[in-house]
Amino acid sequence: MPFLAFFLLLCCHLLAGYGVLQLFRLRLKTAYTITLSLLLGVALASFLPFLLQLFYIPITGLTVFGSLALTTLLLNIPTAIRTRKEGLATVLRGLRPGPLRVRPYEIPYWMVIGFLIFVSVWRCYYFPVTSRDALSGPEAIAEFAVREHTLINSFFNIDLWSTNNQFKSPFLIALQVIYKMAGFPFGQVWLSIVFICLTVFLYHALTEKLHPVLAATLLLLFTMAPEPYAYTFMILYDYSNMVYFFLGLYFLFRSGSAQPTAQATGSFYFAGLLLGIATYIRSETLILAFLFLPPMLLMQRHARYPFRNILVSDLLFFLPAMIGYLLPVTLYVNHYLPVHYPIGALINPQLQLPGLFRRYADIFTHLLTGRPSLNLWGYFFYLTAILFAAEAIFLRRFDRDARNWLYSIAILYLGLGFIGWLFPVMDLTDSTKRALFKMLPLALFYLANNQLLHRFSVAIARWEQSGPLRRARNAHATHDKPSGSPPPSNRPSAKGRRRK
Amino acid sequence: MRQFLLTVAAFATICLVLNTGYNKEWFRTKPSEYWADFWKEKNDTASADALKKERYGIMYSISLKVKEVVEKRKIADPVILFEPNSYYRDSLHIYPKFRAPEPAVFYYYTGLEGVWTNSRDVTRANYLVRISGKGVVLEEIRSPSQLQQILDRYKKYPPIL
Repeated sequence: MPFLAFFLLLCCHLLAGYGVLQLFRLRLKTAYTITLSLLLGVALASFLPFLLQLFYIPITGLTVFGSLALTTLLLNIPTAIRTRKEGLATVLRGLRPGPLRVRPYEIPYWMVIGFLIFVSVWRCYYFPVTSRDALSGPEAIAEFAVREHTLINSFFNIDLWSTNNQFKSPFLIALQVIYKMAGFPFGQVWLSIVFICLTVFLYHALTEKLHPVLAATLLLLFTMAPEPYAYTFMILYDYSNMVYFFLGLYFLFRSGSAQPTAQATGSFYFAGLLLGIATYIRSETLILAFLFLPPMLLMQRHARYPFRNILVSDLLFFLPAMIGYLLPVTLYVNHYLPVHYPIGALINPQLQLPGLFRRYADIFTHLLTGRPSLNLWGYFFYLTAILFAAEAIFLRRFDRDARNWLYSIAILYLGLGFIGWLFPVMDLTDSTKRALFKMLPLALFYLANNQLLHRFSVAIARWEQSGPLRRARNAHATHDKPSGSPPPSNRPSAKGRRRK
Repeated sequence: MRQFLLTVAAFATICLVLNTGYNKEWFRTKPSEYWADFWKEKNDTASADALKKERYGIMYSISLKVKEVVEKRKIADPVILFEPNSYYRDSLHIYPKFRAPEPAVFYYYTGLEGVWTNSRDVTRANYLVRISGKGVVLEEIRSPSQLQQILDRYKKYPPIL
């Protein structure tokens, strides 16, 4: 029974997310459409029980699943209209995956990454929620919400001095409520959807830049980062926050690299929505999102947009992030919860610059380097540092995309240090450590745009293709010798070709 | 042929990644161990509660026992006081293997209200979970003076997580 419910929920996430995606008129590969639809669907689902609570509607199976079904239907009205106009076949054509081309060297990677995914999914399904931060807040609230039909339940009547987890985003609570109501006693399995969708998305996005062998090696190293991997089956905010934050930047940079078209505009606002979701999950993401305003302004100035357009588009871009902050923090925590959380009181009373630099040093020495970093990230950041140094020394220039990702890494490092300095409650060994998950996909995409890896990728692609080409050329030469036609071109494929 | 060579290279790269330094240790102790566990767990018919007992350890079992006793004795408004974890650490030397749940987690486990010695509502405590060499006992707190004596006893042990 829970598996039928899971299947229905999956369909609901897919369709609702697809409806949202269609609003941005993005033309994407099928793999992207499916993974992004599911991720958007999960995010949307996480918002609905919260919305019910804001309107004081009891949280029951009927209201939760009813609102999910209704939202899915409403979001798909434009698609239904399009289907009526253009026919079902036209709409489905956009969703039909291309011919599945499995190259033999991809299989070993799929097996290992598939193994890691399987183990994670099993633990997500089989074990109860374990992290202390979940048990002393969202998980407990969700458990009592299912029994008492409200997110503001008896949990808030007890002594909560030892925790502030009850003030964190409703994202986790809402998803736990939905999946517990669907028959999963520990909820949690939604996290596997997020994990699998991210992995599939990353693989496709990386293979656009690199040869599959290199792309899959990087993805394997990324998936094997010990600490984030543990959070693929241990629910908390940070892994999901990482996913939506990364996707937000991915589409932001994508909008910047495209010509000013409807696609670029769609990507831009879609990035804003994804950063809004990331902010809804972890409120401090709002600060990080605003730190991307300077490069956005530079980009818009460079493209000679009129001032009014810049103002309006940037306001619209940050609107989801503002809503993602204002609804769960300003409105819900301050006006709905029986206990309040004065954020202003959390600000460090001794804001002295040496403390800020100490925090930066601590992040570097305790989290990013040294023995503890191996336990957290494996060799991933070391590899990134080595390839960054190699590119800086040997090539002395960075590709535009690489610069974007490097900028985002720097912003994240500076931003997290600043937030930790401003709010001592964001400690180094737990909160900042988990917030650093976000750096991992940024580093991954820097590596995907590293020119040394790129050259290596092109060399592999050429070498791989030159075998069949040479055979074809020889066959062609033998066959066509009398006519003396020229040999076929030895150009590498578009994928292997170096980007201009 | 070249694709075959690339496949061999892919296998070699994977072997290298999985056997390099810390990766090897991690892969052996985490995913491989989890995989071995999976073969034991897949046919397991344990209930959700049994899984929680296994996962949350002894304190979860004790919490359930407390709940059982409270229900058996039909105690009207039970507020359970826990000894500070620093007492387990510095005096009994059983921490962190054994640690008292924080009130929020105890409520999640049992639906009962728990307090620590520095809680705002500690004056409402009417039962104490006491751990000694003889085992775990649930002692009734009969008067405010008895509660004060208990609190004085643990004064030098600040509550820690």
